[in-house]
Amino acid sequence: MSPIFRKSLGIRHLVCGSCNGCEHEMNALSNPFYDITAEGWDIVASPRHADVVTVSGPITDAMRSAAHETILGTALPRIVVAIGDCAANEGPWKDAPASGKGAVEELAAQVIVRGCPPTPDQIKAGLREAAKLLDRRSQ
Amino acid sequence: MLAFHAEIIRESTHAIPIGAYATSSAAHYLFLGHSSSYDVRFEFDRMERNLRSVSAVLPLLAWDEREMAQEYALTFEGLPDSRPLRGEDSAMPSPIIASGEGLMHLVVGPVHAGIIEPGRFTISSGGETVVYLDAQLGYAHRGVERHLEGRDPIEAAYLVARICGGCSAARSYAYALALEQLSGVTCPAEIDFARTIFAELERIYNHLADLAACASAAGWNPGFTRGMGLKERAMRLCAVSGGHRLLFDAIVPGGVRISQMDIAEEVEALRRDVESYLAALFGNGSVLSRWRGAGVLSSETASVCGAVGPAHRASGGKFDARTFAGYGAYRMLAPRTAHADSGDALARCEVKRDELRDSFRLLAAALQLLDGTAVKSTMHLQVQPGRAIGMVEGPRGRELVAVHVGGDGKLERVHVISASYRNWPLVARAMDGNIVPDFPLVNKSFNLCYACADR
Repeated sequence: MSPIFRKSLGIRHLVCGSCNGCEHEMNALSNPFYDITAEGWDIVASPRHADVVTVSGPITDAMRSAAHETILGTALPRIVVAIGDCAANEGPWKDAPASGKGAVEELAAQVIVRGCPPTPDQIKAGLREAAKLLDRRSQ
Repeated sequence: MLAFHAEIIRESTHAIPIGAYATSSAAHYLFLGHSSSYDVRFEFDRMERNLRSVSAVLPLLAWDEREMAQEYALTFEGLPDSRPLRGEDSAMPSPIIASGEGLMHLVVGPVHAGIIEPGRFTISSGGETVVYLDAQLGYAHRGVERHLEGRDPIEAAYLVARICGGCSAARSYAYALALEQLSGVTCPAEIDFARTIFAELERIYNHLADLAACASAAGWNPGFTRGMGLKERAMRLCAVSGGHRLLFDAIVPGGVRISQMDIAEEVEALRRDVESYLAALFGNGSVLSRWRGAGVLSSETASVCGAVGPAHRASGGKFDARTFAGYGAYRMLAPRTAHADSGDALARCEVKRDELRDSFRLLAAALQLLDGTAVKSTMHLQVQPGRAIGMVEGPRGRELVAVHVGGDGKLERVHVISASYRNWPLVARAMDGNIVPDFPLVNKSFNLCYACADR
């Protein structure tokens, strides 16, 4: 077996009403300290190009349908990764009037990265786990 | 109703309107007086919940009135844009488009290509030239303000810090000032110094990210990579000094959570590298020529539509909450207000460059005053029922938090008027007459948050 995805991961990030703290840390993945291109990974511009969809935020009422469409638009095999406490339904806006339950419950995320926000290293560990799941699945 | 309308208009001839919000019993219009903010109130009687639109005369209040109408079931006679501000039942209202021969329409969002928050932009263009841009936000609306109601004001600081990641310290600071006002206390100097350090570190990491993004939008990737590396170093200083990379909970009501203030050497090393970065960035002629003339916000539009922060100061404005209200250590440290006139992306970047330099000066001064000693002190607050407004200058401009505490000591109403909320309508106006491919550059030169605008 050759680990295809571990060396080449297309990542699409979907913001579903996060406070943008998770986005600051997702953006840090491209800075010289965490540079994910060294792993063969890339943040891609379209769900069509993605193997992994990272999702942050509690999934607001306004984002719900766009979120589902984005996941459905992602090629198979795909892995949904929940980024941050909101996505795990344990964040500050749990039960807020226009907030949902996050990507774990609403989008069946298979990998969970906790934190408010998680650090870039924690996010990288979650992405590595997603790549392993993809490799196992595509064998 | 007519008398109230006339009163607001009259007030605006000698004071600056800064926002408006409703509670279940009144509409509040906020103004800046000589050295503080105050409100003019319209108490609803049992039946009357219709008002005459003030934003028909003062366009900067358009979003505020649309939001009041949507959230508090008020009607505004003569409201120029009567669409709900945010979507209802997850359906966004139709965008405003320009129609005519040869015009076409481009819809972008709510899901964007980069790591960006959600929003929908509908561009009407004739070929490449933008005729009208309608920015529809609200996708990050979580119901933050209603979620805060009924909570203990001190405990709710944890939530306030998480309304928006990129301006968390500024908002926590404004919220703390409001609660301290209601408690009748002012903080000792060492807490003021620690708060200044956090507020300026937040400005530094944000401005570095903004300049890096503008370098990228101008097609100069080395400028992006280097700028983002410097931002990372600033975030690590936030983690060391305030215990969190984005300074969540670093500033709390009554004090600061924890602060390790032996960072002067690292700050100085970062300052030197930022100077060398700024020399490279502002010495790059092709970058400057891309920035020059892009997204011009005229001083007239900026003042009529109520621009704040670097966008305001890059279009001839002079307001800076740090010097206006003189809160905390700023009374003593005297920030220098950055200034530019041309109102384009270049002017906004120049203002941020100058503010970066001054932030390092303020940071070094505050660190020296603390002399490396750790500050960890919190005063016990006895929050009294009443209403207070906290105002600070965040990275993107004036951050306001209005706090109403009820007779039971719980939060009755919290309203956030962020700099991003004020400036978003201006991004759309700055695009008029520009070319479609410049939208990322113009947008990044403002670099506003969605989370604190949508709440």
